[in-house]
Amino acid sequence: MPDLPELNPVIHGKLRLALLSLLAGIEEAEFTWLRNKTGSTDGNLGAQLARLEEAGYLRVKKKFVNRKPRTLYRMTDAGRQALTEYIQALKQILGTAIDT
Amino acid sequence: MKDQTTTQDLKDRLTLIENMISEGRRTTESWGWTFVLWGMAFYVALAWDSWGHSAWAWPITMTAAVVVTVVLVSIKTGGEAETTLGRAVGSVWLALGVSMFLLFPSLGIAGKLIDPHLFIAVASGMLGMANAASALILRWKVQFGCAVIWWAAAVAASFVTGNQAAVVFIIAIFICQIAFGVYGMIQEAGAKSRRGTAHA
Repeated sequence: MPDLPELNPVIHGKLRLALLSLLAGIEEAEFTWLRNKTGSTDGNLGAQLARLEEAGYLRVKKKFVNRKPRTLYRMTDAGRQALTEYIQALKQILGTAIDT
Repeated sequence: MKDQTTTQDLKDRLTLIENMISEGRRTTESWGWTFVLWGMAFYVALAWDSWGHSAWAWPITMTAAVVVTVVLVSIKTGGEAETTLGRAVGSVWLALGVSMFLLFPSLGIAGKLIDPHLFIAVASGMLGMANAASALILRWKVQFGCAVIWWAAAVAASFVTGNQAAVVFIIAIFICQIAFGVYGMIQEAGAKSRRGTAHA
């Protein structure tokens, strides 16, 4: 029987997984939009986004619109690759249990 | 890993991924109000033009509608996400706006916009094209219905009398701008209340 794959610990956290999945379906999103979608607190969200950025899975862009600061997050190619691999590993671990 | 984490937890993660990806793709913009706003602007311009007989009725009303739209969009677009679909649909309407703002004032200044049939047929045809493009991008049958109504109005305006063409235009504005805009706003409000918060 082949060894089961390890799940990427950076993505495995539920909030980080939710954030990467959200960003996979769009081009870029504001901090407040991500907070609304995940129902997370500012502090926790900021910390998890920073961890994903450190891992090179997100890119951050700051800009001013009508003199208000806006922080935009965009998934990198490395992030997309890591999420794809995570999903594949998850499916492999679950095996036949996936349809039950 | 399987020992540490239950199968159910892993399944929940797969479900979370699916839900979040579809949540992200779901369009976040609410545009129903713009249809209502522009429908009302068309009515104001038509009324002012008919009863006031002012050459400035359309330019002033349409410019005012652009200013109101830009101000409201800049207020409403806080905390948003940009999607490819949203940008594609926005581009269609922006291109329509630029085309109309170049074409009709040019025809007016050149003195070639004296035939109401021409204005109604061209405006309806252009609105039909924009609605159809938007409907095909969003795969939204209701909006494609609006495109068909605009195209029908464009064809009808070419054959009927001036007054009848104006009536056709007024009816098309009511169905495709006011009624469709209100329908869009109701749909958006329903989608928002159903969505709730995705706890992660």
